[in-house]
Amino acid sequence: MTWIRKYAPKSLKEYVNQKEAVAKFLAWIKNWKPGKKPLLFYGPPGVGKTALVYAYAHENNLAVIELNASDTRNYSTIRKVIGSSMKGATLFKKGKIFLIDEIDGLAPRYDAGAVNELLKIVKESRYPIVFIANDPYSPKLRHLRENCELVAFKKLSVYDVERRLKQILDAEGIKADKQVLRAIANRNAGDLRGAINDLEVVARGKKEITVKDLDVLGYREREENIFNTLKIIFKTKSPIAAKLSIMNIDKDPDEVFWWIEENVSNEYEKLEEIAKAYDALSIADIFRRRIMKRQNWRLMVYYTDMMTIGVALAKKEMYRKFTRYKPPSVLRTLGMLKYTREKEKQELKDLAEYLRCSTKKVKTEFLPFLKLIYKDRFKDK
Amino acid sequence: MAAKPKEFVVWAEKYRPTKIKDIIDQEHVVNRVKAFLKDRNLPHMLFAGPPGTGKTTLALVIARELYGPQWRSNVLSLNASDERGIDVIRGKIKDFARTKPIGDVPFKLIILDEADAMTAEAQQALRRTMEDFAAITRFILICNYSSKIIEPIQSRCAVFRFKALPEKFQKEFINRIVKGEGLEITEDGIKALLDIAEGDLRKVANLLQAAAAMTKKIDANIVYDVASQAKPKEVEEMLNLAMKGNFLKAREKLHKMLLIEGLAGQDVIKQIYKQSLKLDIPEDKKVELIHLIGEYDFRISEGGDALIQLTSLLAHFALIAKKK
Repeated sequence: MTWIRKYAPKSLKEYVNQKEAVAKFLAWIKNWKPGKKPLLFYGPPGVGKTALVYAYAHENNLAVIELNASDTRNYSTIRKVIGSSMKGATLFKKGKIFLIDEIDGLAPRYDAGAVNELLKIVKESRYPIVFIANDPYSPKLRHLRENCELVAFKKLSVYDVERRLKQILDAEGIKADKQVLRAIANRNAGDLRGAINDLEVVARGKKEITVKDLDVLGYREREENIFNTLKIIFKTKSPIAAKLSIMNIDKDPDEVFWWIEENVSNEYEKLEEIAKAYDALSIADIFRRRIMKRQNWRLMVYYTDMMTIGVALAKKEMYRKFTRYKPPSVLRTLGMLKYTREKEKQELKDLAEYLRCSTKKVKTEFLPFLKLIYKDRFKDK
Repeated sequence: MAAKPKEFVVWAEKYRPTKIKDIIDQEHVVNRVKAFLKDRNLPHMLFAGPPGTGKTTLALVIARELYGPQWRSNVLSLNASDERGIDVIRGKIKDFARTKPIGDVPFKLIILDEADAMTAEAQQALRRTMEDFAAITRFILICNYSSKIIEPIQSRCAVFRFKALPEKFQKEFINRIVKGEGLEITEDGIKALLDIAEGDLRKVANLLQAAAAMTKKIDANIVYDVASQAKPKEVEEMLNLAMKGNFLKAREKLHKMLLIEGLAGQDVIKQIYKQSLKLDIPEDKKVELIHLIGEYDFRISEGGDALIQLTSLLAHFALIAKKK
């Protein structure tokens, strides 16, 4: 069983945050009677919209009848599924909830009339119905939206996500440093499902995970591709081959740029070659800047040529060795630091306000002294 | 960082004067300001001068003298180095400037500190606001170099130049702190302070506080010791690594400074420039280095990515050192 299923909340106690949405949902379902407006849950992916319905159903021994975008989605199916079980009772459960998930994925096939029909069914239903959408304000959902009560789900905080990841690791008996969990929480920006999926990729079957293990993430589908590109750039002396090496790659040039940068000194051994390769990267960077500044995409070829051909031709001769190419440390560091940086920025701002100067001055003129004066508090740095 | 500002007492702040009579030196400026305060009227003002000479302090004192304890409701104090975007000028500043003051002073006050960090475009945007709402809002712009403020703004301001404080007045400030904190300081300790601080009272306060954290009896040795400890050594270490041909380790250091500590590329290259003149290499190589640094500084100022540009610079340093 995937961790997503294994650790899906079985009760509201296990359910993570979304306090307002939960309160609204409970007030609605506890007083539900036929004819009441259905709910429309909306919010970004992975924040617990579907999970809330299942957690509540589990806790109260209700059956969930779910229709989502992966089911055959046409009007008659909906009518059949909902219609047929709309009136009957369940054998083993105390009741039912209808869950129509990913409604924004369903809707395109219907005109407003069909949604009307759907709403008619809703009105006849003897059981509560919940719709779920990511973006309730898309025009195609207008009609539905007007006939539903909206319940907003927010992005989860990094803390929420981190805490849940920790609980899962504890349950699995896996050790991890805080940094790893934070990095996973950060890269998934409020999406708990994504974070748990990532965690499973990194941690499943391990006793302990460290920052190094994160390397598999994000690069997992495309690794093959970029490694080939790097091999061509670093081994070839042919400008055309170097130029073509990035043609079919599934990454944007800025990311490829950092992959190349990371591996220049990994492949090349002579300082002359390294300096020459960096010259090319430096010029490429300037072209990138010009493209951005003037939105002048004509210059794109100079940017990509400098970083491919320029780096390829920086070597005197091909190195006949196997090089294990590394993912760019720059991007990894930046990704992991995003959270701590935000926090630090705020602290700097607070200090700047107290000291009545810019954060830059705090850094250059006060911090060196503060570190001496308040040694104990800065120990961790 | 590991602490909230509430937990700190910083002497530079603790001993910042709040009354006009406590302001040290800068008599020529203070006298004119006193006259303005007496009339309860101010022109737009531009305070220019080296750091730690009392520019921000005087601006805040003016605010207090004008509006009394409720000064905060009539004063907007911004740091242009952090809030310098054109959106701040058009938003926050304009919104504040266009509303009427509270109380009996007929105008409000906007203090724009480190104004030389503003781009020319932002300054252009500011110029209109200064004109349009001059009847109900006065500006005090603060900067190190008035030349970085565009002419049209300068011409709308009364320009006051602050000078680095002479020793006599620096000593007066040192004595205030020494007395206030119950310290002892030797004559050569004071000399050392003056030597390092170069007329910057903020530095004086910082040095004293750091020294006092070690001992209550301060002498020259402690002052120099503190000063050298507070000096950033990372750039020097990074350059030494590069010059020894250890490019990878130098690159690692650069990553630490730029990515983890968040230093600005332009600050780092300024340091590189200063350090490179002291490097132990043949003099004619230094010309090559300066040329290189200048070129990369230009590329960064053109908007190049500081990390890639500085890494490239390090690679060239390593190469030049090898050829010597």
